[in-house]
Amino acid sequence: MSERIERRLWLAASPEDVWDVVTGADWLADEVNLDLRPGGDASFRSSSEDKAGWVEEARPPSDSPDGSGRLAFWWASDDEPATRVELTLEPARGWDGPEGTRLRIVESRPLDVLDLIGTPLPRSGGVTYGPALVAA
Amino acid sequence: MSDPADRAGAVFGALSDPTRRALLQAIAAQPAATATELASDLPISRQAVRKHLTALADAGLIEHRRAGREVHYRVTPAPLSDAVSWMADVGGQWDERLATLRRTLDAR
Repeated sequence: MSERIERRLWLAASPEDVWDVVTGADWLADEVNLDLRPGGDASFRSSSEDKAGWVEEARPPSDSPDGSGRLAFWWASDDEPATRVELTLEPARGWDGPEGTRLRIVESRPLDVLDLIGTPLPRSGGVTYGPALVAA
Repeated sequence: MSDPADRAGAVFGALSDPTRRALLQAIAAQPAATATELASDLPISRQAVRKHLTALADAGLIEHRRAGREVHYRVTPAPLSDAVSWMADVGGQWDERLATLRRTLDAR
């Protein structure tokens, strides 16, 4: 088992609109740079801390036949172990029609998975993710 | 194990087992428990108690001292608060982001 934060909420907006905000320039941090493709670089600047990472998966709702979206990325600041963040967006009916989104967010540090894989994960922006970091 | 998130991982790992959680509660219930006393409190063997005591000690959840022929165990509260503060910090950041998200979408 590893530490894990999970949040779910229903939003009165389409998955496309929610996607625009959550991948936007100022939601995940004060200043966000996200290269929305697998392996893309990511950087997050805030008043309290800066983080760097990479994108594992970025599937906007507009590209998906069922209208769902998924963003998975890894991030870490210099003195922290990397954690994985996964945002899932699903279209959900509102009272008057399908104009809602179920958003699920999971932030976790999948220690068990990394230990099991036993090989370094992709390296990006000077931050190494993988067992070396986990074992430190 | 100095990093709070590392500590949190070890603590949650140790606490993922229901027998270990019961054992930790039993240790917390008395000031200087011995393995024999703990084995008599719980439906597990003394050997199993020793194995779980090692896992709890490795996670920094309990500490022991030798007293003559006995070994006394007690709970160390600090690592649990590390784990809890990791959950509170990261969880609090997401709660703030989600509140912002709702406000942003409502304003559209």
